Amino acid sequence: MGSQKRIAKELAELTESPPAGIMVELADEANLYEWKVHMEGPEKSPFHKGKFLVKLSLPTEYPFKPPTVSFATKIYHPNVTNDEKGSMCLGMLRADEWKPSSKISAVLQFARQLLAEPMPDDAVEGRIAEQYRNDRSRYEEVAREWTRKHAC
Amino acid sequence: MNLQEFLAMEDNCDRDELIDLRGLDFVSDYDSHLMCPICHCPFVDPVRLQCDHVFCQSCLSSAINTFRSADSDEFPCPSCRTPTREVSTSVPRLLINMCDEIRCPRCEEDVMEQDYEEHDKDLCPVLVTNCVDCETVVSRKAFKEHVEACPEVIVPCAAAKYACPVKVRRADIAMHEQSCPLVTMIPYFEVQNTRLNSLELSMRHLQQRNEIFEDGLANIRSTLVESARIGSSAPSGQSVNSGREQSSTRAEANTDPTDISSSVFSSNATTYLLSLHESLREEVEQIRHNLTDLDARASMALMNECIRMKEDMAHTNAAVNSVRMQVQWLMNPRLHGTRTGAVRANTGGNETPRSPLPSSSTAGSSSTTAQSLGPLRPRRPSDSGREGTKL
Repeated sequence: MGSQKRIAKELAELTESPPAGIMVELADEANLYEWKVHMEGPEKSPFHKGKFLVKLSLPTEYPFKPPTVSFATKIYHPNVTNDEKGSMCLGMLRADEWKPSSKISAVLQFARQLLAEPMPDDAVEGRIAEQYRNDRSRYEEVAREWTRKHAC
Repeated sequence: MNLQEFLAMEDNCDRDELIDLRGLDFVSDYDSHLMCPICHCPFVDPVRLQCDHVFCQSCLSSAINTFRSADSDEFPCPSCRTPTREVSTSVPRLLINMCDEIRCPRCEEDVMEQDYEEHDKDLCPVLVTNCVDCETVVSRKAFKEHVEACPEVIVPCAAAKYACPVKVRRADIAMHEQSCPLVTMIPYFEVQNTRLNSLELSMRHLQQRNEIFEDGLANIRSTLVESARIGSSAPSGQSVNSGREQSSTRAEANTDPTDISSSVFSSNATTYLLSLHESLREEVEQIRHNLTDLDARASMALMNECIRMKEDMAHTNAAVNSVRMQVQWLMNPRLHGTRTGAVRANTGGNETPRSPLPSSSTAGSSSTTAQSLGPLRPRRPSDSGREGTKL
């Protein structure tokens, strides 16, 4: 299994030198393919001081198939579905844009970056995207409130 | 190399994974640029794409298998998604060398990747083996030499091939060999052996020569008998044979039955040849018949064809004649037209020189009639056509 070796390697790298605001662990020590990621909301974003639990699951074909990222913690964000799945829409994770050379750390950093700068054009929650575009202060207010309610 | 060739190469690669090179540590800390972007390990058998991205051969082939849509010969580069067809195995030597140094996990020795398999099996000094005889621990590298020299190994006496049954430890063998009577005999045995060998060899030579001589003798005898038989049969036909000679030939025939059989065989062969000759002659006869037949048929066909051609020719001739007639007839009125006044006077004049030649060709006579008729009536274009159909 080539994938396991690479995943183990990436996990070791991420635990040894984690990127800012991101901490990873395995959801189950015996299963390399399900990760629990603790992500801190980036500064200068309405999610600051929030701690979000992100689930990262890797397909067995990894790195040839992209991983999927979902927010277990509820978050008010145009690119995260507002349901119990909390799936995140990342351009680089789409099957036709995924490259095997992309690393998990890059994926997570990109996801965190997305918290600071949402991409309303790629939104999955149209209403929030609308609000983000037209009424930024209201959006930030709600997002802060959700963060306080769910992620603190 | 194109995609199909590359995949075929990957299939042919006998990748038993004797050693997982990716599981090993490398000599120095690794520059991330020297890692395959797919397995995140230093390149193993790197290959290069058109877009200059380099991957391990096995990683690339599994990437191709995942990404390639069925039976298209293109796949996206796993790094930049450039549609790619060609895979090049020529990767800068520098890169290969940089990725080649591995540290053996047992002995901490630095080994080149291509040597690692050998190192892992035999050369690694950490690998040790217990000598079964002397219980000492020997490194695998030196094991062979040890077995040759181990004092505890049971070895046979030097005179074993001359039937000395003794087998003792190597340490004690010298003592035994001093007292063994067979060992002292060894030089003598050896001399005897060489003599025996040379004798055998010369005997074989002699045997061969003997065989050759025997063959020659048999040949000579058979030719002799043949000539004697011919000589004896000729005089008996003439019946001027002395009884003594006859009896002697008879005796010879009795004593040598092989000669009789050979003569029988030769007569058999003659009859066989004769019959063969006869049958061949018959065949030749038949072939001759067939040939004449064919000849006749061919000439018949030729004649038929000739007749047809002749008829055709006659037809064509007639047609040509009629055409000539018409042309002449057509030409004359024109002449009349050009010299209108003279023509009428000339027609009478024309006829007078022709009258002395009544036996001219039919075409000529018909043309004269046409000529004479020409001026009498006005020429119409339909006339020639009507004339043509008549002819």
